[in-house]
Amino acid sequence: MSEETVTATFDVYRFEPGKDAAPRYDRYVLDLPPHTPVLTALLKVRAEIDPSLTLRYSCRSAICGSCAMQINSKSRLACEAAIGPELERDGRIVIEPMRNQPVLRDLVVDQESFWRNYSKIEPHLILDPRHPMPEGRENPMTPEEVDRFKETPRCIACAACYSACPAVEADPAFPGPMALAKLFRFVVDPRDQAHQDRLVRIQTDGLWLCLRCHLCTEACPKDVRPSERIRDLKEMAIAAQGATEHGSRHAVGFKENIRERGQLNEMKLARQTFGPIGLLAQAPQGIRIWRKKPELLRAPHPIEGQDEVEKIYEALDNGKTKEDLP
Amino acid sequence: MRKHDVVVVGAGLAGQRAALAAIDAGREVAVFSKLHPLRSHSGAAQGGINAAVGKEDSVDTHIYDTVKGSDYLGDQDAIEFFCREAGPTVVEMEHFGTIFNRSADGSLARRPFGGAGFPRTIYAADRTGLALLQALWERLGTEEFTLYEEWDLTSLVVREGTVRGIVAFDRRKGEFALIEAKAVVMATGPFGRVYGRTTNAHSCTGDGVAAAYAVGAALKDMEFVQFHPTALLESGILITEGARGEGGLLKNALGERFMSKYAPHVFELASRDVVSRAIVTEILEGRGFPGGYVHLELMHLGKERIESRLQEICDFARHFAGVDPVTQPLPISPAQHYMMGGIGTDIHGATNVRGLFAAGEAACVSIHGSNRLGGNSLLETLVFGKEAGIAAAAYAAHASVSSLTEDDLATAIAPIRAWSHRTDGEDPSVLRSEMQRVMDQYVGIYRTEADLLEGVRRIRELKKRFARIRVVDQSLVYNVNLSDALEVGHMLELAEVIVVGAYARTESRGAHSRRDYPTRDDAHWMKHTIAHRGADGPQLSYAPVAFTRWEPKERVY
Repeated sequence: MSEETVTATFDVYRFEPGKDAAPRYDRYVLDLPPHTPVLTALLKVRAEIDPSLTLRYSCRSAICGSCAMQINSKSRLACEAAIGPELERDGRIVIEPMRNQPVLRDLVVDQESFWRNYSKIEPHLILDPRHPMPEGRENPMTPEEVDRFKETPRCIACAACYSACPAVEADPAFPGPMALAKLFRFVVDPRDQAHQDRLVRIQTDGLWLCLRCHLCTEACPKDVRPSERIRDLKEMAIAAQGATEHGSRHAVGFKENIRERGQLNEMKLARQTFGPIGLLAQAPQGIRIWRKKPELLRAPHPIEGQDEVEKIYEALDNGKTKEDLP
Repeated sequence: MRKHDVVVVGAGLAGQRAALAAIDAGREVAVFSKLHPLRSHSGAAQGGINAAVGKEDSVDTHIYDTVKGSDYLGDQDAIEFFCREAGPTVVEMEHFGTIFNRSADGSLARRPFGGAGFPRTIYAADRTGLALLQALWERLGTEEFTLYEEWDLTSLVVREGTVRGIVAFDRRKGEFALIEAKAVVMATGPFGRVYGRTTNAHSCTGDGVAAAYAVGAALKDMEFVQFHPTALLESGILITEGARGEGGLLKNALGERFMSKYAPHVFELASRDVVSRAIVTEILEGRGFPGGYVHLELMHLGKERIESRLQEICDFARHFAGVDPVTQPLPISPAQHYMMGGIGTDIHGATNVRGLFAAGEAACVSIHGSNRLGGNSLLETLVFGKEAGIAAAAYAAHASVSSLTEDDLATAIAPIRAWSHRTDGEDPSVLRSEMQRVMDQYVGIYRTEADLLEGVRRIRELKKRFARIRVVDQSLVYNVNLSDALEVGHMLELAEVIVVGAYARTESRGAHSRRDYPTRDDAHWMKHTIAHRGADGPQLSYAPVAFTRWEPKERVY
C-alpha cells in the first residue's frame, strides 16, 4: 500500500492575542502521500518541527467535531481533508482558524457564542406534564417518523457551518445554522410537546435572518444540510403562525408577486413586507431607487407565459413537489 | 479555593450519567473534561447498546452470553445486575430523547452482534454513541452544575487514605488549580493511545486511571486488551461490528470466508477476541493481502441497506481509505479498541480509596472479564455511571470537609513546572511514539514471555527518560505541549501495568493470548489481577472471581 509522496507546503496561521502584535503565517514543507489528512500533517509538524503549534483534535475520524478550521479558505474538518486535492487546486495549503469566533491561540477559537446559541434553542425534549412518557417502555415511533429528522442527528457540532455563515458574521442575533438545524430536530420529534411554541419563538429569534446562501450546507461534513432545514423551519413557522414577521411576510409576498405577474412588483413587495406604516421608514431607500432606477417602483406587466407560472403554482398547491414537475 | 460536593472527571456517557445521578440525589456537582462534553470519545461508539427486550430474548441469555464472552472472568453477580438494568436504561435514554432506529411496529429496532444469542443490540444507525451522548448532554443541560471545560486532570489529592480533591490544569488560562471535593468520580474513559494502532481518539490517555493508581487505587485485569477485528488498514479507524451484524463477510486473499474454520457455528459473529485472532492467523500464515490485511465485504448487502444502516462507515471508508463499500471490499485488520481493565470497583463504583469512585471504561467492575462483547460498553457507561453517581452522592452527603492549602497545590505541581524550566530534554511526542511502537510490537494480540520481558524493559526505560522530559512551549494559553506531557506520563504508568500483568498471567484467556501458554488454566488463573503502585513498579496480587449460576465451560462459537 506504499504510495508516492508529494511535497506539501503549509502556511499556517499563528497568533496569540495579547502576546503577539499581529498574526503571522509559518511555512512548513513536508513530503507526504497525497491522501494524507491535513490533521495528520499538522500533528507531524507538532511532533517533529514545532510542538507549540496549537490546535484542537481528538477522534481523527470525523465524529468528535474538534478539528474544524479554514483549509484554503473553506471551513472543513482537518481530519477529513486530504492534502492531495488541496495541493492540486491551490498549489499550497493555507491553514487558518475558523471564522466568526475569536482566536484564543493559533487554530483554537473561542466557541462560547456557538454553544450559547445552541443552548438558547432549548435543545432537550420539552414535555407536557399532562402527557407523561409511557412508564417502563419506549415511546412508539415509526421508521417514517425517524426519517422526519432527515440528517440532523448526524450533526457533530463541529461549527464548520457557523464559521462559513455570513449571517452569523453580519448579525449577532442570528443563531447560526447548527442551532437552527438542532431546532428542526426538536420540532419534528414526535415526543416533544412544544413544537408550536418553538416555531413561534424562533420567528422573532433570528430565523428570518438567514440569507439562504447555502454556504452552511456546503461546509457541513455530515450532510446535515442546515440551510434546507432552515427552509423547512420557515415553512413550518408560517404554517403554524402565519406570516407575522418581515421575513415571513416578504416570503409570502414574494410568492404572491410571482404568481400574479411572473416577476417582482418591488413596491408591492415592500408594502407587503413592511406594512403601510413601516413602508414610510423605507422612504430614503425608495428615494434612492427612484433616482437611479425609477422603473423598479412601477408595477411590471405580467411576463410572457404567465399561464405556465400559474400551472406550476397549481401543481404545488395540489401537493406536487419540485421533483414531480417537468 | 474552589469546593464541590461531587467532582466528576470526564464528561463522556459514564461521567455525564454519574453527574446526573448525583444531581438527582441533591448534591452539588462539578464536571471536569479536557474536551467539550459533546466531543467525548463515547460519541465514536458505533454499533449499539445491548438490552434483552425482545420477546424471544431473555435477561438470562444476555447474562449467559456476557459470562461466556468474558471467558468466565467476569463477576457473575455484577453481570446479573448489569443485564437486569439494561432494559430500564435503554428506555430511560429513549425518554431523554435518543433517536433510535425503529421496527415497523414502532418498537426499538435490534441488530445481531458478535457473541450474542439473539439480535439484542439496539442502535441508532452506526452512530449509537453519538445519539446517546447528544441526548444525555441535552438532558443534563436542564440541570444546575458547574462545567470545567477543557481542563486536564493532573492528580488526585488524598490525605489519610481519603480523597480530598483534585489538581487540574485549565488549558485556556494555563493555570493549575486545586479543587476540593468530598467525592470524586473517575470517568475518564480508555487509555487505548498507549498503542499506536488503535481505534481510540487521541484524547484516550487514561488520565483518571493513572491518577487513581498514583494514590493507591487498585487497578484490575489490566492485561486484558481488546483488539477490534475490523479497523481500516492505515488509519486504524473503527468499522463497526454492526457491519458484520448486518451481514458483512470476512474474506482472505484466496477469497475464502475463513471464519468457517475458527467459528463454524456463527462465522463472523464470534466474539471479538476470536475474530481478531483468526484474522491475524490468516495474515501470519500467508493468506492475507500484501501489506497485512483481509477484506470485509459489504457489497452483497446492496447500496440502500449499506447507506441507510452503515452511513457513517460509508463516509469513513470513502474518506479515510478511498474505498466505496457499495462496490469494493474494505481493507481491514485488528486494532486496539477497548480496555477490559481499569480502576477496580464494586457494582456501586466504589474503589479501595475512600471517596473515590469510578465508572465506564476507566473502571473494571468486572463485567467484561477477559473479553467484552460488542454492545455492552455503552450499556456499562450508563448503568455503572448512574450507580457511581448515586454512591458518590450518598458518600458526599456525610463526608467531612478537608482543609487543603495553596501549599498542597505548589507541592503537587512542582515536578510539572520543572518540565517547562529545562533547557534540554525530550519532547513528550518522542516518548509517546516510542511507547506506542513498544506496545504494538510486544504486547499485541499474540504474546510470548520473551516479547513481554522486552516490553517491560523498554517501557521502564521510557519511564526513566520521562523524568527528563521537556516542554518547549512557554505560553500560558492552550499549551497543548504541556497537556501532551501530562498524558504521556499517565500512559507510561498504565502501559507498565498492562505489560507486567500480561507477563505474569501464564495462560490464554479471552483477549489475552499467550503463544507459550495457549490454553485457559482455570486451576491457576481463574482470578482477577490486582495491581497496586509500588516503588519499583506495579505490585501484583490476585482476587477471586464471583460465581452465581454458570460453571466454566470451554468457549465455542
